[in-house]
Amino acid sequence: MYIEHLSLVDFRSYAQAELAPSPTGTTVVVGRNGSGKTNLIEAIGYLATSKSLRGSPSEALIKIGATTAVVRGQVVCPERSRRVGIDAQLRIGARDLVKVAGQPLRRIGDLSEVVVVTVFSPADLDLVQGGPAGRRAYIDDLAVSLVGRRAAMYAELERVLKQRNSLLRSVQISGWKPGRTLPVDVVSTLDVWDHKLVEVGELVVKTRRDIVAQLGPILAVTYCQLAEGDRPGSRSSVALTYRPSWDAPLADAVLRARSDDLRRGVTGCGPQRDDLELTISGMPSRTHASQGEQRTAALALRLAGHRLLTESRGTAPLLLLDDVFSELDAARSQALMENLPTGQTILTTAGQLPEGITPAAVVKVSNGRLEQ
Amino acid sequence: MYTAAVQDLIDELGRLPGIGPKSAQRIAFHLLSVSKDDALRLAHSITVAKERVSWCRRCFNIAEVQAGLHPGSGLAQHAASEPAGDAHTVLCDICRDARRDPKVICVVEESRDVVAMEKTREFRGLYHVLGGAISPIDGIGPDKLRVRELIARISPEGVEEVILATNPNIEGEATALYLTKLLEHLPLKVTQLASGLPVGGDLEYADELTLGRALEGRRTIGG
Ligand SMILES: [Zn+2]
Repeated sequence: MYIEHLSLVDFRSYAQAELAPSPTGTTVVVGRNGSGKTNLIEAIGYLATSKSLRGSPSEALIKIGATTAVVRGQVVCPERSRRVGIDAQLRIGARDLVKVAGQPLRRIGDLSEVVVVTVFSPADLDLVQGGPAGRRAYIDDLAVSLVGRRAAMYAELERVLKQRNSLLRSVQISGWKPGRTLPVDVVSTLDVWDHKLVEVGELVVKTRRDIVAQLGPILAVTYCQLAEGDRPGSRSSVALTYRPSWDAPLADAVLRARSDDLRRGVTGCGPQRDDLELTISGMPSRTHASQGEQRTAALALRLAGHRLLTESRGTAPLLLLDDVFSELDAARSQALMENLPTGQTILTTAGQLPEGITPAAVVKVSNGRLEQ
Repeated sequence: MYTAAVQDLIDELGRLPGIGPKSAQRIAFHLLSVSKDDALRLAHSITVAKERVSWCRRCFNIAEVQAGLHPGSGLAQHAASEPAGDAHTVLCDICRDARRDPKVICVVEESRDVVAMEKTREFRGLYHVLGGAISPIDGIGPDKLRVRELIARISPEGVEEVILATNPNIEGEATALYLTKLLEHLPLKVTQLASGLPVGGDLEYADELTLGRALEGRRTIGG
């Protein structure tokens, strides 16, 4: 699968722009910082997910002074000999209008049938340095990209937690104090939401564990490839472990946490609190790895997810690497280019490419214009 | 700004479910543009519906008061939000039908679910309309639903089976689970409609969770 052609109207810094990336090779987008390279990545990300990669509201994607932005793309799936047009209109004060092959998009998940992207950006360092939420999102996004209907499972978990937390807060508002007995209705309703939480929670945990198991070996190899240039011969081992925030079984843990939950008015036990631990040579990477190792690990996580998706879908997602060389030293940059996965890749850079690399296409960005 | 009468109309329409300010405006101007007869026909059908339609005192389904039974119920006496008709005397068509089997009660969330079930022509028992589903987000607990009224029917009516047919979404499932636990101590059979298969809930998916539930749903889950 690849993007054959992309056109933008009034999207972020672009009044009008056209891009025809290389179908199978690497397209390098060169431009100074602030020239709009990341906006191009954002446009492609929007095309694939119909939302901003950086979590901005759609209105923020519209060029200042304009009322509508347009992102249009032609996606080619050679293995299914299909060419699909995606046409998105972002409007101020109105819902985004996304059409796939001329038909309005029903569910966001349907887009992943047509186009899937892997994005790496400097902010991904947070995957290693930041809190557990980012790592959960990483594994959950991957789970949904692998099997689209899992989105419903995550939506259910979110809804159950929202309902349970509402109930907990309503108990607080009602003036209940710890130590007093709860009204029978509250106890039996809590039982019901606990049951739902355990039911969907165990499935989420099983899904995450499955993915961690599949990802582990791929991540180890990917990390070694990237770190090789740094310390030739040294084989640092990277491992990923799922760390639940509770002791099994979940049903007992949820029940045990009930009085705490009632006091705090929030569900403190379950998959919404779990973490993924990343270790480098047996040490937690969050606290014991160098900045260079952390950057390499963040990129390796994205690339490993990309490879898992490629294996499972039988076709490579589109790989978007934003400002990747600013994150890596020369040896690691070289190693990345030498081990780049097959498939369409678009990478942005403010400076030079690593030595000896010839990209399939080069695009220059300046003053909101693309020159191919 | 519009004149007071027009603004009132827009405001009233805007309070209807699913009607935003723009739609309210559009409908208001539509009503102003049609003939007086057409507009009054709508007003009349609302008046008649509010006067004649009430809740069944047994199952809380929509029930219609037969013409002539309620000489005194006019709009003037029912200015408050209370449903017209006498809630203590009205029975719905289904509860009045002697051919229906009173030993089996199908529990649904809303009257429109009764209509959906009736269309299948498969079910010959009676209904019980809860008036919603458990949803703490919306401030709806079991006390806001007609749960007590359901329990009160079981023994006097000699109910032998309760079929839980709440909606196949999270709140509907939670309500069914709540009722199952509540009813399991009573001497009756509790069954649940096979759920989870895409029958129009907001979640349409068939993975392990759904399939598991669908299988589970076929078993007797209480009694
Ligand atoms: Zn009735």
